[in-house]
Amino acid sequence: MAKPAVIVVGADKGGVGKTTVSRTVLDYFNANNVPTRAFDTESPRGTLKRFHPDITEIVDMTATADQMRIFDTLNNDVPSVTVIDVRAGLLSPALASLRDIGFLDAAKSGQITFAVFHILGPSIASLDEIAETANFMQGAKYFLVKNFINNTSFFEWDQSTYNSYFHRIKDATEITIPKLNEMAFEQVEVASVPFLKFVANKGTKDENANYSFVLRGYVRHWLANVWSEFDRIKLTDIVGKEKDKDKEKDKTGGEKAAARPGGEK
Amino acid sequence: MRRTPVYIICSPRPLVGKTLIARLLCEFLLLQRGGVVGFDVNLKEPSLLDFLPRVTETADVDNTFGKMQLMDRLILNDDIAKVIDLGFHAFDEFFTMVGEIGFFKEAARRGVAPVVLFVADSDRASARAYAMLQSSVPARAFITIDNEYVLRGELPDALSRGRLLNIAALPVFLKTYIDRVSFSFTDYLRHEKDTSTELHQWIRDNYFSFRELELGLLLQG
Repeated sequence: MAKPAVIVVGADKGGVGKTTVSRTVLDYFNANNVPTRAFDTESPRGTLKRFHPDITEIVDMTATADQMRIFDTLNNDVPSVTVIDVRAGLLSPALASLRDIGFLDAAKSGQITFAVFHILGPSIASLDEIAETANFMQGAKYFLVKNFINNTSFFEWDQSTYNSYFHRIKDATEITIPKLNEMAFEQVEVASVPFLKFVANKGTKDENANYSFVLRGYVRHWLANVWSEFDRIKLTDIVGKEKDKDKEKDKTGGEKAAARPGGEK
Repeated sequence: MRRTPVYIICSPRPLVGKTLIARLLCEFLLLQRGGVVGFDVNLKEPSLLDFLPRVTETADVDNTFGKMQLMDRLILNDDIAKVIDLGFHAFDEFFTMVGEIGFFKEAARRGVAPVVLFVADSDRASARAYAMLQSSVPARAFITIDNEYVLRGELPDALSRGRLLNIAALPVFLKTYIDRVSFSFTDYLRHEKDTSTELHQWIRDNYFSFRELELGLLLQG
Protein backbone atom coordinates (compact mmCIF):
# COMPACT_ATOMS: atom_id res chain seq x y z
CA MET A 1 0.00 0.00 0.00
CA ALA A 2 1.32 3.44 -0.92
CA LYS A 3 2.19 5.60 2.03
CA PRO A 4 -0.09 8.55 2.64
CA ALA A 5 0.84 11.84 1.04
CA VAL A 6 0.03 15.30 2.29
CA ILE A 7 0.41 18.38 0.15
CA VAL A 8 0.13 21.72 1.88
CA VAL A 9 -0.55 24.69 -0.37
CA GLY A 10 -0.11 27.98 1.38
CA ALA A 11 1.50 31.34 1.97
CA ASP A 12 1.44 33.86 4.73
CA LYS A 13 0.70 36.68 2.35
CA GLY A 14 -2.83 36.97 1.03
CA GLY A 15 -3.97 37.25 -2.57
CA VAL A 16 -1.12 35.29 -4.10
CA GLY A 17 -3.27 32.53 -5.57
CA LYS A 18 -3.17 29.72 -3.03
CA THR A 19 -6.63 28.42 -3.81
CA THR A 20 -6.04 28.75 -7.54
CA VAL A 21 -2.97 26.53 -7.30
CA SER A 22 -4.81 24.08 -5.03
CA ARG A 23 -7.51 23.82 -7.68
CA THR A 24 -4.97 23.05 -10.40
CA VAL A 25 -3.42 20.37 -8.19
CA LEU A 26 -6.81 18.75 -7.56
CA ASP A 27 -7.62 18.85 -11.28
CA TYR A 28 -4.24 17.33 -12.05
CA PHE A 29 -4.77 14.43 -9.67
CA ASN A 30 -8.30 13.96 -10.98
CA ALA A 31 -6.98 13.76 -14.56
CA ASN A 32 -4.38 11.22 -13.44
CA ASN A 33 -6.88 9.12 -11.47
CA VAL A 34 -5.18 9.75 -8.15
CA PRO A 35 -7.77 9.54 -5.36
CA THR A 36 -7.60 12.78 -3.47
CA ARG A 37 -9.31 14.56 -0.62
CA ALA A 38 -8.96 18.22 0.20
CA PHE A 39 -9.22 20.43 3.24
CA ASP A 40 -10.08 24.08 2.99
CA THR A 41 -8.93 26.16 5.93
CA GLU A 42 -10.92 29.24 4.97
CA SER A 43 -13.16 28.51 7.91
CA PRO A 44 -16.08 28.97 8.16
CA ARG A 45 -16.70 29.74 4.47
CA GLY A 46 -14.40 27.88 2.11
CA THR A 47 -13.34 29.00 -1.33
CA LEU A 48 -11.85 25.69 -2.43
CA LYS A 49 -15.00 23.89 -1.39
CA ARG A 50 -17.03 26.02 -3.79
CA PHE A 51 -15.07 24.54 -6.72
CA HIS A 52 -14.55 21.00 -5.45
CA PRO A 53 -17.46 20.42 -3.06
CA ASP A 54 -17.46 16.63 -3.33
CA ILE A 55 -13.97 16.08 -2.02
CA THR A 56 -13.42 19.13 0.17
CA GLU A 57 -14.04 19.65 3.87
CA ILE A 58 -13.76 22.98 5.62
CA VAL A 59 -11.57 22.84 8.70
CA ASP A 60 -10.10 25.20 11.25
CA MET A 61 -6.46 24.22 11.38
CA THR A 62 -5.93 25.93 14.68
CA ALA A 63 -8.49 23.66 16.36
CA THR A 64 -7.24 20.36 17.72
CA ALA A 65 -10.40 18.54 16.70
CA ASP A 66 -9.92 19.54 13.08
CA GLN A 67 -6.23 18.68 13.18
CA MET A 68 -7.32 15.21 14.25
CA ARG A 69 -9.81 15.06 11.38
CA ILE A 70 -7.00 15.65 8.95
CA PHE A 71 -4.04 13.80 10.34
CA ASP A 72 -5.57 10.96 12.32
CA THR A 73 -7.27 9.71 9.15
CA LEU A 74 -4.15 9.61 6.99
CA ASN A 75 -3.71 5.88 7.32
CA ASN A 76 -7.16 5.06 6.00
CA ASP A 77 -6.93 3.11 2.74
CA VAL A 78 -8.29 5.66 0.23
CA PRO A 79 -7.78 8.34 -0.76
CA SER A 80 -4.05 8.40 -0.31
CA VAL A 81 -3.40 12.01 -1.18
CA THR A 82 -4.52 14.87 1.03
CA VAL A 83 -4.34 18.44 -0.23
CA ILE A 84 -4.62 21.19 2.36
CA ASP A 85 -5.29 24.73 1.18
CA VAL A 86 -3.94 26.84 4.01
CA ARG A 87 -5.40 30.29 4.24
CA ALA A 88 -3.34 33.49 4.34
CA GLY A 89 -1.31 34.05 7.47
CA LEU A 90 -1.62 30.47 8.61
CA LEU A 91 1.23 28.73 6.81
CA SER A 92 3.91 29.26 9.45
CA PRO A 93 1.59 28.50 12.39
CA ALA A 94 0.31 25.41 10.54
CA LEU A 95 3.82 24.12 9.94
CA ALA A 96 4.67 24.79 13.59
CA SER A 97 1.61 22.75 14.60
CA LEU A 98 2.69 19.91 12.33
CA ARG A 99 6.10 19.96 13.96
CA ASP A 100 4.54 19.94 17.43
CA ILE A 101 2.33 16.92 16.74
CA GLY A 102 5.28 14.96 15.34
CA PHE A 103 4.05 15.04 11.75
CA LEU A 104 7.26 16.52 10.40
CA ASP A 105 9.31 13.85 12.14
CA ALA A 106 7.11 11.19 10.56
CA ALA A 107 7.76 12.76 7.17
CA LYS A 108 11.47 12.90 7.87
CA SER A 109 11.54 9.20 8.75
CA GLY A 110 9.72 8.37 5.52
CA GLN A 111 6.42 7.19 6.97
CA ILE A 112 4.52 9.94 5.20
CA THR A 113 5.14 11.83 2.00
CA PHE A 114 4.96 15.53 2.72
CA ALA A 115 5.17 18.34 0.19
CA VAL A 116 4.71 22.06 0.60
CA PHE A 117 3.70 24.32 -2.25
CA HIS A 118 4.73 27.72 -1.01
CA ILE A 119 2.89 30.22 -3.20
CA LEU A 120 4.85 33.37 -3.88
CA GLY A 121 3.57 36.59 -5.29
CA PRO A 122 5.88 39.05 -7.02
CA SER A 123 6.58 41.14 -3.93
CA ILE A 124 9.37 41.34 -1.37
CA ALA A 125 6.85 40.73 1.42
CA SER A 126 5.97 37.43 -0.17
CA LEU A 127 9.57 36.40 -0.84
CA ASP A 128 10.57 37.22 2.73
CA GLU A 129 8.45 34.27 3.86
CA ILE A 130 10.80 31.78 2.22
CA ALA A 131 13.47 31.79 4.94
CA GLU A 132 10.94 31.30 7.71
CA THR A 133 9.10 28.50 5.96
CA ALA A 134 12.34 26.74 4.98
CA ASN A 135 13.07 26.08 8.68
CA PHE A 136 10.31 23.47 8.69
CA MET A 137 11.26 21.72 5.50
CA GLN A 138 13.54 18.89 6.63
CA GLY A 139 11.94 15.74 5.31
CA ALA A 140 9.54 17.62 3.08
CA LYS A 141 9.54 18.35 -0.62
CA TYR A 142 9.62 22.12 -0.76
CA PHE A 143 8.30 23.85 -3.85
CA LEU A 144 8.61 27.57 -4.39
CA VAL A 145 5.65 28.36 -6.61
CA LYS A 146 6.12 31.57 -8.57
CA ASN A 147 2.57 32.59 -9.33
CA PHE A 148 2.36 35.25 -12.02
CA ILE A 149 -0.86 36.84 -10.84
CA ASN A 150 -0.09 40.00 -12.82
CA ASN A 151 2.37 41.20 -15.41
CA THR A 152 5.23 41.91 -13.02
CA SER A 153 8.33 39.75 -12.57
CA PHE A 154 10.02 38.04 -9.63
CA PHE A 155 12.99 40.41 -9.72
CA GLU A 156 14.75 38.38 -12.42
CA TRP A 157 16.01 41.73 -13.69
CA ASP A 158 17.98 42.12 -10.44
CA GLN A 159 20.00 38.91 -10.16
CA SER A 160 21.38 39.61 -6.68
CA THR A 161 17.90 40.13 -5.26
CA TYR A 162 16.58 37.12 -7.15
CA ASN A 163 19.41 34.85 -6.01
CA SER A 164 19.10 36.00 -2.42
CA TYR A 165 15.62 34.52 -2.34
CA PHE A 166 15.52 31.68 -4.80
CA HIS A 167 19.00 30.21 -4.57
CA ARG A 168 19.40 30.39 -0.82
CA ILE A 169 17.31 27.32 -0.05
CA LYS A 170 19.30 24.38 -1.39
CA ASP A 171 16.62 21.73 -1.76
CA ALA A 172 13.75 23.88 -2.92
CA THR A 173 12.33 23.37 -6.40
CA GLU A 174 10.82 26.23 -8.34
CA ILE A 175 7.49 25.96 -10.13
CA THR A 176 6.18 28.63 -12.43
CA ILE A 177 2.46 29.28 -12.73
CA PRO A 178 1.80 31.53 -15.72
CA LYS A 179 -0.78 34.28 -15.70
CA LEU A 180 -4.29 33.35 -16.71
CA ASN A 181 -6.28 35.78 -18.80
CA GLU A 182 -8.33 37.91 -16.39
CA MET A 183 -11.67 37.42 -18.10
CA ALA A 184 -11.13 33.68 -18.30
CA PHE A 185 -10.30 33.60 -14.59
CA GLU A 186 -13.40 35.62 -13.74
CA GLN A 187 -15.62 33.41 -15.89
CA VAL A 188 -14.42 30.28 -14.05
CA GLU A 189 -15.06 32.09 -10.77
CA VAL A 190 -18.60 32.86 -11.84
CA ALA A 191 -19.13 29.31 -13.05
CA SER A 192 -17.82 27.89 -9.73
CA VAL A 193 -16.58 24.72 -11.39
CA PRO A 194 -13.17 23.04 -11.51
CA PHE A 195 -10.96 24.24 -14.36
CA LEU A 196 -11.29 20.84 -15.97
CA LYS A 197 -15.07 21.08 -16.12
CA PHE A 198 -14.86 24.59 -17.50
CA VAL A 199 -12.61 23.41 -20.31
CA ALA A 200 -15.06 20.58 -21.02
CA ASN A 201 -17.94 23.11 -21.09
CA LYS A 202 -19.73 21.48 -18.15
CA GLY A 203 -21.66 23.01 -15.29
CA THR A 204 -21.58 22.13 -11.60
CA LYS A 205 -23.78 19.05 -12.09
CA ASP A 206 -22.07 17.95 -15.30
CA GLU A 207 -24.82 19.53 -17.39
CA ASN A 208 -23.82 21.13 -20.70
CA ALA A 209 -22.82 24.75 -20.27
CA ASN A 210 -22.30 27.60 -22.68
CA TYR A 211 -18.97 29.13 -21.77
CA SER A 212 -17.10 31.22 -24.31
CA PHE A 213 -14.96 29.15 -26.64
CA VAL A 214 -12.22 31.77 -26.39
CA LEU A 215 -12.18 31.74 -22.59
CA ARG A 216 -12.24 27.96 -22.48
CA GLY A 217 -9.33 27.97 -24.88
CA TYR A 218 -7.36 30.31 -22.65
CA VAL A 219 -8.06 28.17 -19.60
CA ARG A 220 -7.10 24.99 -21.46
CA HIS A 221 -3.85 26.53 -22.67
CA TRP A 222 -3.02 27.86 -19.21
CA LEU A 223 -3.92 24.63 -17.43
CA ALA A 224 -1.78 22.66 -19.87
CA ASN A 225 1.17 24.90 -19.00
CA VAL A 226 0.56 24.49 -15.27
CA TRP A 227 0.27 20.73 -15.59
CA SER A 228 3.46 20.55 -17.62
CA GLU A 229 5.16 22.06 -14.57
CA PHE A 230 3.60 19.35 -12.39
CA ASP A 231 4.77 16.78 -14.92
CA ARG A 232 8.25 18.27 -14.75
CA ILE A 233 8.47 17.84 -10.99
CA LYS A 234 6.91 14.34 -11.32
CA LEU A 235 4.10 15.17 -8.93
CA THR A 236 2.35 11.83 -9.35
CA ASP A 237 5.60 10.00 -8.57
CA ILE A 238 6.06 12.13 -5.47
CA VAL A 239 2.71 11.01 -4.11
CA GLY A 240 3.50 7.42 -5.00
CA LYS A 241 1.31 7.01 -8.08
CA GLU A 242 2.27 6.08 -11.59
CA LYS A 243 0.81 8.24 -14.32
CA ASP A 244 -1.79 6.23 -16.22
CA LYS A 245 -2.03 7.72 -19.65
CA ASP A 246 -4.69 5.30 -20.89
CA LYS A 247 -6.98 6.00 -18.01
CA GLU A 248 -6.51 9.68 -18.62
CA LYS A 249 -8.72 9.29 -21.70
CA ASP A 250 -11.34 7.59 -19.64
CA LYS A 251 -15.06 7.51 -19.38
CA THR A 252 -15.41 11.25 -19.68
CA GLY A 253 -14.67 10.88 -23.38
CA GLY A 254 -11.29 12.49 -23.20
CA GLU A 255 -12.39 15.51 -21.19
CA LYS A 256 -9.61 14.98 -18.73
CA ALA A 257 -7.14 14.88 -21.55
CA ALA A 258 -8.58 18.01 -23.07
CA ALA A 259 -6.35 20.28 -21.08
CA ARG A 260 -3.22 18.41 -22.02
CA PRO A 261 -0.84 20.15 -24.42
CA GLY A 262 -1.99 19.19 -27.89
CA GLY A 263 -4.93 17.39 -26.41
CA GLU A 264 -7.69 19.78 -27.34
CA LYS A 265 -11.04 18.21 -27.82
CA MET B 1 -24.77 19.32 -42.73
CA ARG B 2 -22.08 20.85 -44.87
CA ARG B 3 -19.14 22.49 -43.18
CA THR B 4 -19.14 26.22 -42.55
CA PRO B 5 -16.19 27.94 -44.20
CA VAL B 6 -14.25 30.65 -42.40
CA TYR B 7 -11.84 32.48 -44.69
CA ILE B 8 -9.09 34.40 -42.95
CA ILE B 9 -7.40 36.84 -45.32
CA CYS B 10 -4.17 38.00 -43.80
CA SER B 11 -0.69 39.39 -44.18
CA PRO B 12 1.73 41.07 -41.78
CA ARG B 13 2.14 43.79 -44.43
CA PRO B 14 -0.16 46.71 -45.26
CA LEU B 15 -1.46 47.43 -48.76
CA VAL B 16 -0.98 44.00 -50.30
CA GLY B 17 -4.59 43.63 -51.42
CA LYS B 18 -6.25 41.94 -48.45
CA THR B 19 -9.39 44.04 -48.60
CA LEU B 20 -9.66 43.60 -52.37
CA ILE B 21 -9.55 39.83 -51.97
CA ALA B 22 -12.00 39.99 -49.06
CA ARG B 23 -14.42 42.02 -51.21
CA LEU B 24 -14.13 39.61 -54.10
CA LEU B 25 -14.63 36.61 -51.86
CA CYS B 26 -17.58 38.14 -50.02
CA GLU B 27 -19.32 38.97 -53.27
CA PHE B 28 -18.62 35.50 -54.64
CA LEU B 29 -20.00 33.83 -51.49
CA LEU B 30 -23.07 36.06 -51.61
CA LEU B 31 -23.64 34.89 -55.15
CA GLN B 32 -22.80 31.26 -54.48
CA ARG B 33 -24.36 30.65 -51.06
CA GLY B 34 -26.82 33.53 -50.78
CA GLY B 35 -25.19 34.88 -47.65
CA VAL B 36 -21.92 35.80 -46.03
CA VAL B 37 -20.73 37.69 -42.98
CA GLY B 38 -17.59 39.77 -43.28
CA PHE B 39 -15.54 40.72 -40.24
CA ASP B 40 -13.42 43.81 -40.57
CA VAL B 41 -10.38 43.65 -38.29
CA ASN B 42 -8.76 46.20 -40.47
CA LEU B 43 -9.74 49.66 -39.38
CA LYS B 44 -6.32 51.21 -39.98
CA GLU B 45 -6.29 50.44 -43.71
CA PRO B 46 -8.82 50.67 -46.55
CA SER B 47 -11.49 48.55 -45.06
CA LEU B 48 -14.10 45.96 -46.04
CA LEU B 49 -16.72 47.87 -44.07
CA ASP B 50 -16.48 50.77 -46.53
CA PHE B 51 -17.21 48.54 -49.50
CA LEU B 52 -19.74 46.04 -48.17
CA PRO B 53 -21.40 47.69 -45.16
CA ARG B 54 -24.52 45.51 -45.32
CA VAL B 55 -22.69 42.24 -44.78
CA THR B 56 -19.73 43.44 -42.74
CA GLU B 57 -19.26 43.79 -39.01
CA THR B 58 -16.33 45.35 -37.25
CA ALA B 59 -14.26 43.26 -34.89
CA ASP B 60 -11.14 43.73 -32.88
CA VAL B 61 -8.65 41.46 -31.22
CA ASP B 62 -6.96 44.02 -28.99
CA ASN B 63 -8.84 42.86 -25.90
CA THR B 64 -10.39 39.65 -24.60
CA PHE B 65 -13.95 40.87 -25.00
CA GLY B 66 -13.35 41.64 -28.68
CA LYS B 67 -11.74 38.25 -29.18
CA MET B 68 -14.74 36.54 -27.59
CA GLN B 69 -17.18 38.47 -29.77
CA LEU B 70 -15.29 37.46 -32.89
CA MET B 71 -14.16 33.91 -32.18
CA ASP B 72 -17.38 32.73 -30.54
CA ARG B 73 -19.09 33.59 -33.85
CA LEU B 74 -16.42 32.00 -36.01
CA ILE B 75 -16.63 28.68 -34.22
CA LEU B 76 -20.36 28.29 -34.93
CA ASN B 77 -21.32 25.72 -37.55
CA ASP B 78 -24.31 27.72 -38.81
CA ASP B 79 -23.75 27.27 -42.56
CA ILE B 80 -23.09 30.98 -43.00
CA ALA B 81 -19.74 31.58 -44.66
CA LYS B 82 -17.48 34.06 -42.90
CA VAL B 83 -14.71 36.22 -44.29
CA ILE B 84 -12.20 37.97 -42.07
CA ASP B 85 -10.28 40.90 -43.41
CA LEU B 86 -7.42 40.80 -40.94
CA GLY B 87 -5.37 43.98 -40.80
CA PHE B 88 -1.60 43.75 -40.63
CA HIS B 89 -1.55 45.32 -37.18
CA ALA B 90 -3.71 42.50 -35.79
CA PHE B 91 -1.84 39.65 -37.48
CA ASP B 92 0.39 38.57 -34.56
CA GLU B 93 -2.25 38.99 -31.88
CA PHE B 94 -4.84 37.08 -33.89
CA PHE B 95 -2.70 34.06 -34.65
CA THR B 96 -1.21 33.93 -31.14
CA MET B 97 -4.74 33.80 -29.79
CA VAL B 98 -5.83 31.24 -32.39
CA GLY B 99 -2.95 29.00 -31.33
CA GLU B 100 -3.64 29.40 -27.62
CA ILE B 101 -7.33 28.61 -27.81
CA GLY B 102 -6.85 25.67 -30.18
CA PHE B 103 -9.11 27.14 -32.85
CA PHE B 104 -8.23 24.79 -35.70
CA LYS B 105 -8.78 21.60 -33.71
CA GLU B 106 -12.03 22.82 -32.20
CA ALA B 107 -13.19 24.00 -35.64
CA ALA B 108 -12.54 20.57 -37.13
CA ARG B 109 -14.50 18.97 -34.31
CA ARG B 110 -17.47 21.28 -34.82
CA GLY B 111 -17.65 21.05 -38.59
CA VAL B 112 -16.20 24.49 -39.24
CA ALA B 113 -13.61 24.77 -42.00
CA PRO B 114 -11.14 27.61 -41.50
CA VAL B 115 -9.04 28.55 -44.53
CA VAL B 116 -6.11 30.90 -44.14
CA LEU B 117 -5.49 32.95 -47.27
CA PHE B 118 -2.05 34.42 -46.80
CA VAL B 119 -1.32 37.33 -49.13
CA ALA B 120 2.37 37.02 -49.94
CA ASP B 121 4.91 39.79 -50.17
CA SER B 122 8.65 39.65 -50.74
CA ASP B 123 9.83 41.16 -47.45
CA ARG B 124 11.24 39.44 -44.36
CA ALA B 125 8.12 39.97 -42.24
CA SER B 126 6.11 38.00 -44.78
CA ALA B 127 8.70 35.19 -44.84
CA ARG B 128 8.60 34.93 -41.03
CA ALA B 129 4.81 35.02 -40.97
CA TYR B 130 4.64 32.36 -43.67
CA ALA B 131 6.92 30.04 -41.69
CA MET B 132 4.85 30.60 -38.56
CA LEU B 133 1.60 29.81 -40.37
CA GLN B 134 3.07 26.75 -42.05
CA SER B 135 3.92 25.31 -38.68
CA SER B 136 0.63 26.17 -36.99
CA VAL B 137 -2.06 25.87 -39.66
CA PRO B 138 -3.04 22.49 -41.13
CA ALA B 139 -1.62 22.26 -44.67
CA ARG B 140 -5.00 21.78 -46.35
CA ALA B 141 -6.29 24.96 -44.67
CA PHE B 142 -3.37 27.14 -45.73
CA ILE B 143 -3.28 28.86 -49.10
CA THR B 144 -0.80 31.42 -50.29
CA ILE B 145 -2.15 34.18 -52.49
CA ASP B 146 0.12 35.40 -55.23
CA ASN B 147 -1.24 38.86 -55.95
CA GLU B 148 0.58 39.81 -59.13
CA TYR B 149 -0.22 43.45 -58.54
CA VAL B 150 2.04 43.29 -55.47
CA LEU B 151 4.66 40.71 -56.44
CA ARG B 152 4.79 41.34 -60.19
CA GLY B 153 5.01 37.60 -60.86
CA GLU B 154 7.99 37.00 -58.60
CA LEU B 155 6.66 34.93 -55.73
CA PRO B 156 9.66 34.09 -53.51
CA ASP B 157 10.55 30.38 -53.60
CA ALA B 158 10.26 30.16 -49.82
CA LEU B 159 6.58 31.09 -50.04
CA SER B 160 5.60 28.74 -52.82
CA ARG B 161 5.78 25.36 -51.11
CA GLY B 162 2.07 24.82 -50.39
CA ARG B 163 -1.22 25.53 -52.18
CA LEU B 164 -1.27 28.66 -54.28
CA LEU B 165 -3.99 30.92 -55.55
CA ASN B 166 -3.12 33.45 -58.21
CA ILE B 167 -4.71 36.88 -58.52
CA ALA B 168 -3.77 38.46 -61.83
CA ALA B 169 -2.72 42.09 -61.96
CA LEU B 170 -5.13 44.60 -63.43
CA PRO B 171 -4.06 47.69 -65.36
CA VAL B 172 -3.91 50.77 -63.16
CA PHE B 173 -6.99 52.40 -64.72
CA LEU B 174 -9.07 49.29 -63.98
CA LYS B 175 -7.62 49.05 -60.49
CA THR B 176 -8.74 52.62 -59.90
CA TYR B 177 -12.16 51.70 -61.29
CA ILE B 178 -12.71 48.73 -58.95
CA ASP B 179 -11.36 50.66 -55.97
CA ARG B 180 -14.42 52.90 -56.03
CA VAL B 181 -16.51 52.27 -52.93
CA SER B 182 -19.68 51.86 -54.98
CA PHE B 183 -18.20 49.24 -57.30
CA SER B 184 -19.61 45.72 -57.15
CA PHE B 185 -17.96 42.80 -58.93
CA THR B 186 -21.15 40.79 -59.22
CA ASP B 187 -23.14 43.79 -60.48
CA TYR B 188 -20.47 44.31 -63.10
CA LEU B 189 -20.77 40.70 -64.27
CA ARG B 190 -24.54 41.02 -64.43
CA HIS B 191 -24.74 44.33 -66.20
CA GLU B 192 -21.73 44.49 -68.47
CA LYS B 193 -22.88 43.22 -71.86
CA ASP B 194 -19.39 42.75 -73.27
CA THR B 195 -18.07 39.58 -71.63
CA SER B 196 -14.73 39.89 -73.37
CA THR B 197 -13.51 42.85 -71.34
CA GLU B 198 -10.38 42.38 -69.27
CA LEU B 199 -12.23 43.16 -66.05
CA HIS B 200 -15.01 40.71 -66.86
CA GLN B 201 -12.43 38.02 -67.48
CA TRP B 202 -10.52 38.92 -64.33
CA ILE B 203 -13.60 38.67 -62.09
CA ARG B 204 -14.69 35.38 -63.67
CA ASP B 205 -11.20 33.92 -63.21
CA ASN B 206 -11.18 34.83 -59.55
CA TYR B 207 -14.71 33.56 -58.97
CA PHE B 208 -13.63 30.32 -60.64
CA SER B 209 -10.68 30.04 -58.23
CA PHE B 210 -12.99 30.61 -55.28
CA ARG B 211 -15.43 28.02 -56.60
CA GLU B 212 -12.54 25.54 -56.68
CA LEU B 213 -11.79 26.42 -53.08
CA GLU B 214 -15.40 25.82 -52.06
CA LEU B 215 -15.46 22.52 -53.95
CA GLY B 216 -12.28 21.50 -52.18
CA LEU B 217 -13.98 22.12 -48.84
CA LEU B 218 -16.96 20.03 -49.89
CA LEU B 219 -14.68 17.15 -50.87
CA GLN B 220 -12.72 17.40 -47.62
CA GLY B 221 -15.98 17.25 -45.66
